[in-house]
Amino acid sequence: MLSNEAQPAIALRHASSRNYWAISLRRLLRKKVGVACLTIILLMYGSGVLASMVTPYGYNDQDLSITKQGPSISHPFGTDRLGRDILTRIIYGLRTTVIITVVTLVTGSLALGITMGLLAGYFGKWIDTLVMRVGEVTSAFPEIFLVLIIISTLKPPITDWVRGIEETVGIDIIRLGVVDYFVLSLALAIFSWFGMARLVRGQVLQARENQYVEAARAIGASTPRILTKHVLPNVMGPVIVMVSAGLAGVAGSEIFLSFLGIGIQPPTPSLGLMIFQNGSISVLRSDPHLLLFPVLTLSLLLFTFNLLGDAVNDAFNPRAR
Amino acid sequence: MGWKTLPLAFGLLFLVAACSGSSGSSETTDSGSDSPEPTASSSASDSSSSTGGGTPLEGGRFVRLFVDPPTLDPHLTTDATSAQIIVEVFGGLVTIDKDLNVVADLAESWDVSDDGRVYTFRIRPDATFHDGKPVTAEDVRWSLERATNPLTESPNVDQYLGDIVGVEAKIAGDALEISGVKVINERTIEITIDGSKSFFLAKLTYPTAFVLDKENVEASPKNWFRKPNGTGPFRMTEYKVGETLVLSRHEGYHLGPAKIAEVEMILSGGTSMLMYENDEIDIAGVGLADIDRLQDPNNSLNAELHQAAPQFSVQYIGLNVNEPPLDDVKVRRALNLAIDKREIATIVLGDQVVPATGILPPGFPGFSESVSGYKFDPEKALQLLKESKYGNDLDNLPPITITTPGSFGANVSLDMEVVLAMWEKNLGIKTEFQQTEFATFLKDLNKRRFQMFDIGWIADYPDPENFLDILFYSDSSNNHTNYNNPVVDSLLEQARVETDETKRFLIYNEVEQTILDDAPWIPLWYSGERYLLIKPNVKDYLQTPLIIPKLRHVYLTDE
Amino acid sequence: MGTYVIRRLAWLPVILLIISFITFVMGRFGPGDPIEIRAGQYNNEESIERIREQRGLNDNIFVQYGRYLKNVTRGDFGDSIALPGRTVGELLKKKMWVSAQLNIAALFLSVSIGIPLGLFAALRQGTFWDTSTVAFTLLGQSIPVFLTAPLLLLVFASWLDILPTHDWGGLFSTHTILPAIVMGVPGIAIITRLTRASTLEVISQDYIRTARSKGLSETTVQRRHVLRNAMIPVITMLGFSLAGIAFTSFIVERYFGIPGIGDLFISSIFARDYPIINAIVIIGTTMFVLANLIVDLIYPWLDPRIRLGGAHAE
Repeated sequence: MLSNEAQPAIALRHASSRNYWAISLRRLLRKKVGVACLTIILLMYGSGVLASMVTPYGYNDQDLSITKQGPSISHPFGTDRLGRDILTRIIYGLRTTVIITVVTLVTGSLALGITMGLLAGYFGKWIDTLVMRVGEVTSAFPEIFLVLIIISTLKPPITDWVRGIEETVGIDIIRLGVVDYFVLSLALAIFSWFGMARLVRGQVLQARENQYVEAARAIGASTPRILTKHVLPNVMGPVIVMVSAGLAGVAGSEIFLSFLGIGIQPPTPSLGLMIFQNGSISVLRSDPHLLLFPVLTLSLLLFTFNLLGDAVNDAFNPRAR
Repeated sequence: MGWKTLPLAFGLLFLVAACSGSSGSSETTDSGSDSPEPTASSSASDSSSSTGGGTPLEGGRFVRLFVDPPTLDPHLTTDATSAQIIVEVFGGLVTIDKDLNVVADLAESWDVSDDGRVYTFRIRPDATFHDGKPVTAEDVRWSLERATNPLTESPNVDQYLGDIVGVEAKIAGDALEISGVKVINERTIEITIDGSKSFFLAKLTYPTAFVLDKENVEASPKNWFRKPNGTGPFRMTEYKVGETLVLSRHEGYHLGPAKIAEVEMILSGGTSMLMYENDEIDIAGVGLADIDRLQDPNNSLNAELHQAAPQFSVQYIGLNVNEPPLDDVKVRRALNLAIDKREIATIVLGDQVVPATGILPPGFPGFSESVSGYKFDPEKALQLLKESKYGNDLDNLPPITITTPGSFGANVSLDMEVVLAMWEKNLGIKTEFQQTEFATFLKDLNKRRFQMFDIGWIADYPDPENFLDILFYSDSSNNHTNYNNPVVDSLLEQARVETDETKRFLIYNEVEQTILDDAPWIPLWYSGERYLLIKPNVKDYLQTPLIIPKLRHVYLTDE
Repeated sequence: MGTYVIRRLAWLPVILLIISFITFVMGRFGPGDPIEIRAGQYNNEESIERIREQRGLNDNIFVQYGRYLKNVTRGDFGDSIALPGRTVGELLKKKMWVSAQLNIAALFLSVSIGIPLGLFAALRQGTFWDTSTVAFTLLGQSIPVFLTAPLLLLVFASWLDILPTHDWGGLFSTHTILPAIVMGVPGIAIITRLTRASTLEVISQDYIRTARSKGLSETTVQRRHVLRNAMIPVITMLGFSLAGIAFTSFIVERYFGIPGIGDLFISSIFARDYPIINAIVIIGTTMFVLANLIVDLIYPWLDPRIRLGGAHAE
């Protein structure tokens, strides 16, 4: 049974769990790293979202007289093979990455994955078995294959349907690439939830053995409350790490699908396609700027996101010595 | 051989990487590969650095980067990769020489009857299989029977042997033998076709008509091709899937043994430029990302760069003539006129392609300078557009979508992006771009579901029928644009049976011009590898616009 | 424990059946036809139909599936459609072995560097060493293979010319070095961070405090409790890696000319070569399920309070 010394510690933990999130957030903002990362990410996401206002050129403004130029005043990142401004295309490409990763992660990994993991880990027994086995089935599938089939089969009818709506809504939805994003994210989300679920489940298995959870149960707290207030915060650590790692995975999938030709359609810029098309020794030797700028951008994004993930993790779990 | 994209489906993935990392070369996904090489304009093929230099060495080994051939069975060949190896290991009655004429291979001579329907071939006495066994007329007959056997599952046998009397019946299961093939004696065989067709001989140069050794095949029906007993200039002495394939000189080759003793094909992939520079391979394709660097005279490799005319293949945009707004010929012509092909070819594609003026490539039999296509003329284009039936309401032009096969990310869509931008700038038409994955693309293409599509066609044999009839005859299953012109149809039917070659080609010229005027196509380029790096000690590596046996001419010197 | 293992294993055939059937159905009804693809440019519908009939591809789906199952149980996965005359078995065996070796090399790299780094960083949480270690490994994870592969090739195979440009020479040859680095370095970051994150979780748990207050020495605390419990997410990750041990990214394979399974898999998908696809799905699923089982078996060993099946231990 609980010793007397442990009681106040538990009480303290319990009380603070209400402000747990607030306190942690504050802690995050106090760290330099955290702030720096947040700024960079907001900057990148922001420019992506505000792309049309921020960029000096259109992303498909071709000028065949200035192809493959290196960085200059008028083109800080140089021009690509069709004379388009690379900086502009990168910003729009960021927008693409942002949309895809956010939608996929939020629906797949986060929403679905965490929920399933919590349920499976906490309740165990048949729920656990069901979730785990279903997860195994979806994950064992060769993702590329299914995604290919899904996109090939679903995109045309969805596109047709959207084309029908375009008239009434008045926006060129399809050319904006909305259909591409939507179908792509959906297809990718189906495959990205199990990893998270499994991880969360593992954490939950550990966490629920903890005494304060027992205590909470003894006090009579309801299950959802226990889950969100006690279990979830303790699970966040590795979860955050995984989300930021998942970001890379989704970005990678997007590259891969563009490679197959079923990702985002040109001329909408995609960081992945830019990187993939120019990822060769030959380009490194002839026109390295074609590869380096997109790569650096993507790397910076992934890097800061991951670093932020760790900073958040620390903020939620300060060293208690 | 197929649309560019077919070799793509099997091996271009490797080839693109093989050439220059992952950035492909020209707009078609199969270029940037080490496969068919271009040749100089008309007949003579370009030999590489054949002019002097160095003392020839006897034998030696020639190494190149290549890809796993999908099949080594001539009767199952449908793609360029397999064909390149097969033509070196096997042979048929006739073949194509480096001047692109149909010449004797296993048959030393032949007669054609007056009505053009009966071909009598005489097999040369010194023709043998690799194991020394002489080739007889019975072998030829057996091979034809095997190719047409439904159990062999040859997907294109209808195309290449379907003209022979009795083949249709046999394929349909109504006959057990081809009635039109008759063995006269041990060295003579008679083949009867269903009409006077001048292109029949040309079709026989394709692997489906090649001769196999019955004992070899029947000894292990599933695996015989791993140890093939062919009649070609090389024997296949080693084949490790995904690793290496080695061809060795067949000393008894009836047209003269090869100069080189061995050819090694590295199948495991890698970056070809790197391997070439490390002296691991003797030739390397040059991709779009490398061409600028290599054309600089100060670059040490510049001396080893060879250029030749492109392959006999045409990359084009197909327009479905039944779909608005493409159903108005003026719109189609406008689209043709609004593209500056020269600019794209030079600046964007690095001169890896030649802008197409017509349908037949230069140097191809039946090509004529008198046939004229569309030159870049944006004003005329706009004017034509306004004259079309949609001209009054250009803002509400029915939407156009162009579909291309999913690309493996190589710069396939670059030229399309420029074309679309040009249309927008010069005509104010916004086109939607849609890539689909290859298998789906193929299916929808065959069902004529596309409004506009980007694809290529590679010549399989040197006859204009291979382009003009197969792609534009109204009933043809390869006519994806729904093009239907009764005048063209009747001209094509005439050309099929015309025996005088000059007259025939004149008919085809007329056909080509009519088709161009009707504009169901926008021919873009003649493509296929134009640039090759060849080691200075490698001589007589021919760059040919068709796939023909040519490795036997290669020799090494001591340079 | 024995019954648990058997119960879990009993699921395997069920899952396999479901998955392989779904794949099979997709092959039959999904977009794309392998015969059509193989036929190339001469689209002759009659011959394509004829060949399909002959091969029984138009039969009732259950009949086809039954036939397939019967063959599979005898170990016959059939012949490739896109590469006629070659059996699926011969194509897969060698390539999977090569891929597995490469994966092992990369995993070894990731784990042997990742775990110590993760512990190192966790124990120095908040210090300069902590942040820089994490940042450093993150760099490795953030740079995509499309830059690292050509760059490494350029430097080591071209300029310095000390490593081979292509091909595969077995696990312990110089051919393994570059691709293993390219594949392993991103993994280092993940393992480091996971180790670090879960170590931190564990350290802050009450029972550690309790153990410490009991007077156990610091190192014992570390070794016995922290390490074991912190390993749980890492093991989970390793579990996934184990499941995919025989599959390597075809992108890496392309750059380095490695005859692995990635290439074959991709080209099979493009060519709709269902015998190969089905075989890969079956093998992949089996490995996945087994890997999951192994991970679940290890959980209790790491944290005795977790009983098999996740139930609460008393």
